Amino acid sequence: MLTGLVACRGAEEDGKVHVVYWEKWSGAEAAAMQTTVDAFNASQDRIVVEFLSVSGIDRKTILATAGGDPPDVAGVWVQNLASWADLNALTPLDELMRLDGTTPSEFLSRYEPSYADATAYNGHVYALFATPASMALHWNKAAFRAAGLDPERPPATIAELYEYSRRLTRRDPVTGALTQVGFLPQDPGWWPWSFPRYFGGDLLGADGSITYAGVPQNLASMRWVQSYTELYGLDDMKRFASGFGGFGSPQFPFFAGRTTLVFQGVWLNNYLRQYAPNLEYGVAAWPAVNPGEAPFTIVEGDMLIIPRGAKHPREAWEFLKYVSSSNPDATTREELRGIELTCFLQEKNSPLRHWSPFFSEQHPHPFISVFRELARSPRAYHAPAMGVWQEYQREINIAFDQVRLLQSSPEQAMAYAQQRVAASWKEHRAATARQARAFAPAESGSP
Amino acid sequence: MKTRDFWDLGKGLAFTAPWIIGFSVFLAYPVLASLFYSFCDYSILQRPVFIGLGNYQKLIFDDVFWLSLTNTLYYALFSVPLGVVTSLSLALLLNLPIRGRAFFRAVFYLPSIGPVVASSMLWLWIFNGQFGVLNWVLRPVCEWFGTSPPAWLGDPAWAKPALILMSLWGVGNSMVIYLAGLQDVPKELYDSAAIDGANAWQRFWNITLPSISPVLYFNLLMGIIGALQVFTQVFVIAGGVGGNANPLEGSPSRSTLFYSIYLFSTAFYDLRMGYASALAWALFVIVAALTWLATKLAASRIHYSV
Amino acid sequence: MKARGVAHRPGAGLRFFVYACLGFGTLLFGFPLLWMLSTSLSPVEQTLSYPPRLLPLAHYASVDGQRLEVTLDAEVRPGHWAVTERSAGSKSADKDRRRAIVPAASVQTQIRPRWENYPLALGALGGTSIDELEGFVAPSTRLGADSEVGFLTFFANTVIVCVLGVIGTVLSNALVAYGFARLKWRGRDAFFALTLATLMIPYPVLMVPLFGVFQGLGWIGTLLPLWVPAFFGSAFNIFLMRQFFRTLPVELSEAARLDGASELRTFWQVILPLSRPVLAVAALFHFLHAWNDFLGPLLYLTRKHTFTLGLALQSYQTTHGGVQWHFLMAASTVTILPVLLLFFFAQKTFIQGVATTGSKG
Repeated sequence: MLTGLVACRGAEEDGKVHVVYWEKWSGAEAAAMQTTVDAFNASQDRIVVEFLSVSGIDRKTILATAGGDPPDVAGVWVQNLASWADLNALTPLDELMRLDGTTPSEFLSRYEPSYADATAYNGHVYALFATPASMALHWNKAAFRAAGLDPERPPATIAELYEYSRRLTRRDPVTGALTQVGFLPQDPGWWPWSFPRYFGGDLLGADGSITYAGVPQNLASMRWVQSYTELYGLDDMKRFASGFGGFGSPQFPFFAGRTTLVFQGVWLNNYLRQYAPNLEYGVAAWPAVNPGEAPFTIVEGDMLIIPRGAKHPREAWEFLKYVSSSNPDATTREELRGIELTCFLQEKNSPLRHWSPFFSEQHPHPFISVFRELARSPRAYHAPAMGVWQEYQREINIAFDQVRLLQSSPEQAMAYAQQRVAASWKEHRAATARQARAFAPAESGSP
Repeated sequence: MKTRDFWDLGKGLAFTAPWIIGFSVFLAYPVLASLFYSFCDYSILQRPVFIGLGNYQKLIFDDVFWLSLTNTLYYALFSVPLGVVTSLSLALLLNLPIRGRAFFRAVFYLPSIGPVVASSMLWLWIFNGQFGVLNWVLRPVCEWFGTSPPAWLGDPAWAKPALILMSLWGVGNSMVIYLAGLQDVPKELYDSAAIDGANAWQRFWNITLPSISPVLYFNLLMGIIGALQVFTQVFVIAGGVGGNANPLEGSPSRSTLFYSIYLFSTAFYDLRMGYASALAWALFVIVAALTWLATKLAASRIHYSV
Repeated sequence: MKARGVAHRPGAGLRFFVYACLGFGTLLFGFPLLWMLSTSLSPVEQTLSYPPRLLPLAHYASVDGQRLEVTLDAEVRPGHWAVTERSAGSKSADKDRRRAIVPAASVQTQIRPRWENYPLALGALGGTSIDELEGFVAPSTRLGADSEVGFLTFFANTVIVCVLGVIGTVLSNALVAYGFARLKWRGRDAFFALTLATLMIPYPVLMVPLFGVFQGLGWIGTLLPLWVPAFFGSAFNIFLMRQFFRTLPVELSEAARLDGASELRTFWQVILPLSRPVLAVAALFHFLHAWNDFLGPLLYLTRKHTFTLGLALQSYQTTHGGVQWHFLMAASTVTILPVLLLFFFAQKTFIQGVATTGSKG
């Protein structure tokens, strides 16, 4: 019994190499990825990929890597890449590309530039896409009608967003408690770092310095966040939000009709059909902050990495290549391959520049072209690739919370975050240099 | 040394052999290694690099270190005394000659032995600002005062009080210890006090309290040490607020970032094992100092009956 | 119950006050557990209703001339409810469920505990998503060691960790405590003092290097770090048992020695049988500790097929982001149940054990 529990895994009795693949998804998204995995397993007879849904994927993966027992492939997020690369926790993929006789730039040319950019850090490629995403404004048409707004005309400017939110706010006639609001900055609250960029600010200077508190646009974005707390009332908003369910439940505020304007990713349609099939909604670019500017979006990715110390990196790479390939001429569902298959089943856009005829014409997402166009915008940004990004993001999240809960002024909260991240960034760079100095001679001998 | 001594030593070592191994591998080595790492830059994936006092310097200027310490001390400062008062009161009540003592004892003791994960989930649900049963009870009371009940775990100002309230639910263990202590108080003391005409309060203050002071001291110390290391309930609860919170951020806005959580996140999420070791040693020093302080303060007040 | 510590019999007024206090306390301490049970048996829409429902209910009404189980959606006008046919699933997904507005008087309500929550909750604990369990998506075909894990695996893992840990705790600590209590050897007292001093070390100090130790041994991702250390003693249990062994008369050992028994035999045949109470206390506490441990599994278990119940319960919360409170409470109840059963069977050992550990400290 015990030997079974501690048994090592690897090449198993079927004579094939078993690649262990951890992924964050469960439910329908996991089922979609499973289909791609099955297709890969059927496409050759040397490698078997074992797909596992793992909760808390980033923490588990880094712990398992540190513990010397990582999976062969892990599906993490774009923002994990740089920190993990600096920790030496990732296998650089460019070496594997060169072994295949191709170069990183050649390989990455398949992606839209905004997406290609997100896979690389410090001159290496560390991840490929499982699925990409870009973010857009989603609005609840029924709520628009009830509020006397034109359901086909979403707010186009940030002033309109505020005005619409005001008109979409509903309260309980007896208790005065909020029952519906327009836009709520904390819903879903996954990318508070994007707001400064939305306002045209920047998180990193050209010289790699932290500019969070130093750019006027960043400050303006936080004032904007604060204005929504003032609109709804702090205590009312807190109680209203405490009844929200998580993503993937009918109580998620947009599904339940509690928030009616939301910045969300391409995946939302998939969830809407499941949890709120009757909700009538539209999709558009984020309202413009400054008139006439290119539409803003953030590009994200569910990224596949090979942790350092993986037992089968070569076989894992074969799988990664399959997952990021496509059949450019597919005209039927059966002909879809690799990333187009996954993205079709998950109803997301493809990160590739070229979409096959079937994928672009028969896509189940009614607004897929909006997301494709957004990803091509010059203002499509991904999270900065830097070694302390996890910490930077954590500080931004906390500053965001403090501002929206009116615990401190935007200036204070941002200055505080700035000072913490800058110190940590300086120290991180020193530590990386120290590691390089201490062990460079010893490791220069190995290829 | 005589052969006989050798033989005895051999026997002693043979019997304690498991512990000699356990002590060396699972205690002595880790303690020394942790001390060494605390002077290093170390991420387990790379070899440790000695950096002298760097981690400790950083610690002094790390606001989040101080914040997590303040949060933890705040929690300890309220949960420990409130826990003592609650458990001692219950023990005093149960020490009276009444019917159904075994039943009441079981009811009060049971919550303290359930898995913390499960009970944290339960309290997460009870504290839910909108659908929770606690606010359902509180709402009419608050409305009478013209206010409304807090969002508890969703509100930075109320998250710690909520955790403290929750900790009171688990006082059963110390209640049983007090009960045992109370039952060891010699009845003659009460009899003679009654003859002297002492009232209930005087009897409690002059007889009961001194008699159970060793137990009280022990519980207080264990309570402080436990409170300083509180982890699981915070990890579960902070991860459950709003459905997408990262427990390691101590949401909402770091109000539940406790020492152990910060340490865990530094060590096993950011893989800054060197800095985490320095944090651990700082905790060690704090625990040792508090223990010393408690012992000093208690020395003159504890009454050890022979 | 010993009589000597009990105070004077109180008067009627005071007795009333005491019972009132205890009754109120019982309410505060007992209610959460009952609430957990009640939620675990409720349908999903009632877990999110306000005011909270204390008992799981089922409502029936006539829709299109058919008697159906319905959910009460809203009181659209006084005395009239909008109702929707209730489907087995927990999601408000089906588009074609029948809806109607019916007079409140025609709605029948009865108490109906939903035991079916339990199998669903335990299934979801294994990582099968609620969507799959309720037929929203086809069950996926998974491969590998983690594919068939479910509640039973987590339960078995927890039991393995607990049982092996208990065996290790009892054996190793008794042996070591015997060496400290009933043998005389050079350095014994110094080593014992050192042992006691280690009680002061907070666990976080050990956390990082222990992770390194287990990594070096290749034990990360297995159950080994959770039970093997129990076989090497723990300061607290050594202390507990040593105190007990010292109360046993020296003559026992001397008599055994005169009969030619070896030290090990004396330990095994004379001392151990007399020490059942303290062994039971140590065993019980280790069991509880292992059953309730969260940080250990969180650190060392990376593979789902090695998860313990507590860890599975917590990842349940994150996997199913939208907390399904009724399922979560059902799974929590199942996690607490073994501890409750143990308590009812070993109540005396529990209470005495807690009392000894506390007052001997």
